[in-house]
Amino acid sequence: MARIGITTTVPVEIILAAGHTPVDLNNVFITDKEASRLVEVAEDAGYPRNICGWIKGLYSVVVDRGDIDMVLAVTQGDCSNTHALMETLQLAGIETIPFAYPFDRDYDILKLQMDKLISALGTDWDSVMTVKKRLDQVRGKVAELDRLTWQENTVSGFHNHLYQVSCSDFNGDVTAFEQDVDQFIVKAGSATEGTENLRLGFIGVPPIVNDLYEHFEKMGARVVFNEVQRQFAMPYSVDDLVEQYRLYTYPYGVFGRIEDIKLEIERRNLDGIVHYVQSFCFRQIEDMIFREKLDIPVLTIEGDKPGKLDARTKLRMDSFLEMLG
Amino acid sequence: MFCGIDLGSRSVKLVVMDHDKVKNSEIFETVQFYRQYGAATPEGLVVDFKGIGMAGSGNVVATGYGRNTINIVGATIIAELKAHTIGAMWQTGLRDFTLLDLGGQDSKVIKVRKGKMVDFATNDKCAASTGRYLENMATVLGISLEELSSYHENPVELSATCAIFGESELIGRIVEGYSIPELGAGVNYTILKRIKPMLTSLASEVIIFTGGVALGTAIGKMIGSELGVEVIVPKYPQLNGAIGCAVHAQEKRG
Repeated sequence: MARIGITTTVPVEIILAAGHTPVDLNNVFITDKEASRLVEVAEDAGYPRNICGWIKGLYSVVVDRGDIDMVLAVTQGDCSNTHALMETLQLAGIETIPFAYPFDRDYDILKLQMDKLISALGTDWDSVMTVKKRLDQVRGKVAELDRLTWQENTVSGFHNHLYQVSCSDFNGDVTAFEQDVDQFIVKAGSATEGTENLRLGFIGVPPIVNDLYEHFEKMGARVVFNEVQRQFAMPYSVDDLVEQYRLYTYPYGVFGRIEDIKLEIERRNLDGIVHYVQSFCFRQIEDMIFREKLDIPVLTIEGDKPGKLDARTKLRMDSFLEMLG
Repeated sequence: MFCGIDLGSRSVKLVVMDHDKVKNSEIFETVQFYRQYGAATPEGLVVDFKGIGMAGSGNVVATGYGRNTINIVGATIIAELKAHTIGAMWQTGLRDFTLLDLGGQDSKVIKVRKGKMVDFATNDKCAASTGRYLENMATVLGISLEELSSYHENPVELSATCAIFGESELIGRIVEGYSIPELGAGVNYTILKRIKPMLTSLASEVIIFTGGVALGTAIGKMIGSELGVEVIVPKYPQLNGAIGCAVHAQEKRG
C-alpha cells in the first residue's frame, strides 16, 4: 500500500481500488503549519520567484516531507507548470505517473487514460466500480452539506469549501472522512441560520490565503457557492465513471465552467461573484472571459503566498461589498 | 463643522468643511502624521486634533487602507472607494463618470453611474503607475516632480512599467542622449500605458482625475488625447478622499 500524491483531482477511485492511499498534495501543503516555509524550500532549490505558490508548495511537500511514495501528476487539464514539477520531482528521485484530461472531453481518450492508470496501478474496472459506488454514498452526503449551505444557510463558506475540496482524496481515509461529514451535518442541523445580507459565489482555484471566507462573513457576506471545490466533490449522480469525469468541468476549458456557474448563480440567488486567481497563473487571462460572460458583478482577487489577506485585498473586498450593498 | 481624514500610504489628508464649503485642509507625510499626532491606545488610534489645529471639528469621518485595518477613536470609518466617489461627485457635480485616482502607492479606477459605484479596478501588489514611481523617476532625471509632470510631447519608448527596473531602463535612455522633456514624457507615458486597460474596461465619456499625480498636467493631457475623452481635474485633486469623508459626515448629519 503506497501513499500516492496527486497534484489535483484525478479518478481517485482507481487509486483506492488498487489499495493505495491518495494524498492531495495541495491539501497537505496548505494545512501545513509552515506552508510559507515550504514555498521558500522550493525557491531555495531553484524554483523562480515568479511562479505559482501552489506548485512550489507541492514540490516541497514531496521532497521535504518525504512520506509520499509516488506522484500522480495531471499533465493536461490543470496547470502546465505541473510538467516541470514532475521533472524536478524525477530529478529528486520521485516516481511520477502522468494523467491527462483530454481538452475536448473526448470519451474514448479519457477512458484510455483511465485504462492506462488502472493497469499502471495494477487494478481492474470491477474493483474501480465497487469503489465508485462507495464514494458516491459519501459524495451524496457532501452534496447535502452543500445544499445546507445555500438553501438552509446553516453552513459557513469555509466549511463548504473545506468538505468539498477534501473530496479530491477523501483525506486518504474514506470511512473516517464520511464520519466527519456525518457529524458535521448533524451539527449543521441545529446551527442557527446565517443572516448575512449578501450571498457570494467563489470561482477559480481554491484560495492560497486562509482568511478569505472569514473576512467576508465578518463584513456581512457569505460565500454560498464554491465552484471548483464543488466540482471536486462531483455531485453528478451518474453511473458511468468515464462520464463522471467528463461532467467534471474544471479540466476542460472555461466555457463549460461558465455554464455551470450561470446555473448556480440563478439557483443560489447570488449577489456577486468573487473570482480568485493565483499570481502567475494562466487562469488570470480567463478573468476577461468571466467578466464578459457572467451578468453579475465580479470581483477579482489575487493571491500569491500562503497566509492572511493583505490590506489591499481587504480594501478591494470591502469596496466590492459596499458596491453590492 | 465636519472633518474628513484620508489616511493614505504616502500622505494623510485632512479637510474641515462647514456649510458645504472647504474651510481648512492639511496634508502630512504619513509617517510624520502618526509620529506627531497619533497615539496608539487599546481602543484604537487617538488623533491629536488640537495639535493639528483642528480642534472642535466635531463629526469625524475617516478612510484609508481597509475599513478593518484603521480605527480612529471617535471617527466613523468608510470604505476608501466610497469616499473617493463621494468626493468626486461633490467636487464636480457629476453623477456619471469614471474616476481615476493615482495616489502615492496605488491607483484606482471607479465607474460611477447615477451617483453609484458600479464597478472598480485597482492595482494589485505593484507600485508602478503611482506617485512613488514618478518620484523615483524624477530623482533619476534630477528634476522636480512638478517639472516631470509637465512633459507630455515626444515621449521616448520605455517598456518597463516596473518601478525598479524602470529606473535602469531610463538611465539607458539618458545615456542614449534623449532630452529631459522627451525622457520625462516617456515616464509619464508609461503611466498611461499601465492604466489604459483599466480605463478602457471601465470607460465613460468623462474622466475625473484625482490623487497627487493629478496635480501635474502631462498625464491628464495624454489620457484626453489618447482615449478621446474629457478629463476633469477638480479643484482639490489630492484632497478628494478626505473631502468625500467630510461630505459623508455632513450628509449623515444633514
